[in-house]
Amino acid sequence: MSEPVRVDDTLWEIPAAAREDMRVPARVFADADLLAAIRTDRSLEQLQNVATLPGIVEAAIAMPDIHQGYGFPVGGLAATAPPDGVVSPGGVGYDINCGVRLLATPFTHGELDDRRRGALVEAIARRVPTGAGKGGPLALRGAELDAVLEQGPRWLVEHRDVGSDADVRATESEGCLEGADPRRVSARARERGAGQLGTVGSGNHFIEVQRVEELIDRDMAERFGLRKGQVTVLVHSGSRGLGHQVCTDYVRTMDATLGRHGIVLPDRQLSCAPLDSDEGRAYLAAMAAAANFAWANRHAIAHGVRRAISDVLGADAAAGTRQVYDVAHNVAKLEEHGGRLVCVHRKGATRAFPGQPVFIPGSMGTASYVLAGREGSMARSFGTVCHGAGRRLSRTAAKKQVDGAVLLRELEAGGVAVRAASSRGLAEEAPLAYKDVDAVVRVVEDAGLARRVARLRPIGVVKG
Amino acid sequence: MEPTHRWIEHTAELQLELHARSEAAIFRQAVLALRELLEEDAGAATGERVERQVEAEATDRGALLAEWLAELVFLAETERLVPDEARDLVVGEHSVTAVVVGRTREPRHLVKAVTYHDLELHRDRDGWRGNVVLDV
Repeated sequence: MSEPVRVDDTLWEIPAAAREDMRVPARVFADADLLAAIRTDRSLEQLQNVATLPGIVEAAIAMPDIHQGYGFPVGGLAATAPPDGVVSPGGVGYDINCGVRLLATPFTHGELDDRRRGALVEAIARRVPTGAGKGGPLALRGAELDAVLEQGPRWLVEHRDVGSDADVRATESEGCLEGADPRRVSARARERGAGQLGTVGSGNHFIEVQRVEELIDRDMAERFGLRKGQVTVLVHSGSRGLGHQVCTDYVRTMDATLGRHGIVLPDRQLSCAPLDSDEGRAYLAAMAAAANFAWANRHAIAHGVRRAISDVLGADAAAGTRQVYDVAHNVAKLEEHGGRLVCVHRKGATRAFPGQPVFIPGSMGTASYVLAGREGSMARSFGTVCHGAGRRLSRTAAKKQVDGAVLLRELEAGGVAVRAASSRGLAEEAPLAYKDVDAVVRVVEDAGLARRVARLRPIGVVKG
Repeated sequence: MEPTHRWIEHTAELQLELHARSEAAIFRQAVLALRELLEEDAGAATGERVERQVEAEATDRGALLAEWLAELVFLAETERLVPDEARDLVVGEHSVTAVVVGRTREPRHLVKAVTYHDLELHRDRDGWRGNVVLDV
């Protein structure tokens, strides 16, 4: 693998000349310690592979939470430009519009004694299905499912009295990508997702109850409606089986049409098609539909969280629970950067336009951050920052080092109430499996991509 | 040579490596590997016994292995079918067909997708070797 060259304190670059097939450089935002951790897996090789995509502009860019994925690394972005530029389903990933939503409650940590904290976590676990394929409260099929695929959460507000218009307005792209076409979503994708609206799923998805531990930028925190000691709830989920199947369908389709488009790739999982081809347009329409489904999913989950708050703390507490914002971290969007239209693939990376709230979950037991995008992100990273701490250990390695039952006791002793569907799943997501979120966030701040606004500390976790 | 499989370290996902004397045995072993993943340590088999005719198609060997597993992943999520074995398995140039026998019960884990990353199915010195990365 080629050596990254230091550009400045937070940026490293592998020049395009490092490999014959690279069209642009590969850039990584990291400090020396994070880069050393990044180099222990195949992340940078995968980033160089991304740099070979037809029509990629400027650079293949990785955030400090980058880790090895399949095809694209997780924690990176690629912008491609028409007419030669491609769209790659693998550049979005299987969990289309996986993302995070932050709710701010009207009560403080001090008002939530241990009994009520435990009861709240229990109520959330009861109100919101978690775990492998669990059926949700909103089983939509046919025309109703089509409407959600086209309109996202707004349909739930208008037709199911779920959530509010204010929630929709406090969502990236107001929870609806233009061009969504349910006809481009296969029957199989519909079947996988039809009963899953309002469910968290498994893997690294969760609902976390938190307290605002520190306000770092008080003015911005006030603008986001956050105050010290306040209890917040972070929802992390995506488009469930529907999105998984959309990606599966289009990776297969595009793999079969690479030859027709004259595209040669170093990894089949990068399969792609020109943005203005039939396959490219069809994928973008199906991906938009899956993204809208994901926003509707987190919207329905938030509704379940409010009902849980009502169960334990009363209707006024639920009514006073406000959505701070909702961001996607697995999506491709057509955006204007540097005066031209590009398709920005964000895979494990978050849009961070200036002033926009960004949420960076840590791991269970460690801090999460609220950030605000800065101008630097527009100049340096197509308006993008990281999405989390980034995995450091494989799931197998984490399970070898951590006993799920022991971890559960440690978290509870540390003041984090935990409800997990599986002890194996808990061990796989143990804090030691992740990089240091403080270091990751410090890099994006030092690089001028975003500023830290608040640090949140977990007090309860519901895990799939 | 008994068919074998093993799970290889991967930062975020699961990589499955399969070895067998014949190509058909690779596909049968893939069923056992998936059952192991879905079941975890669930203990004795429970649930209603079911059979499903399954067919996968692809233009090359690696993709055929991926599509075979993708069919099983779909059945696990939509029908709660945890497979025990594949009977009457026939591998053609562009397809594989079999009767998948299993039980319907809630899988402990699901697979999001079967990727095309590092995908392999080919002959080696000892028989056949398959490699596939699963998004979990």
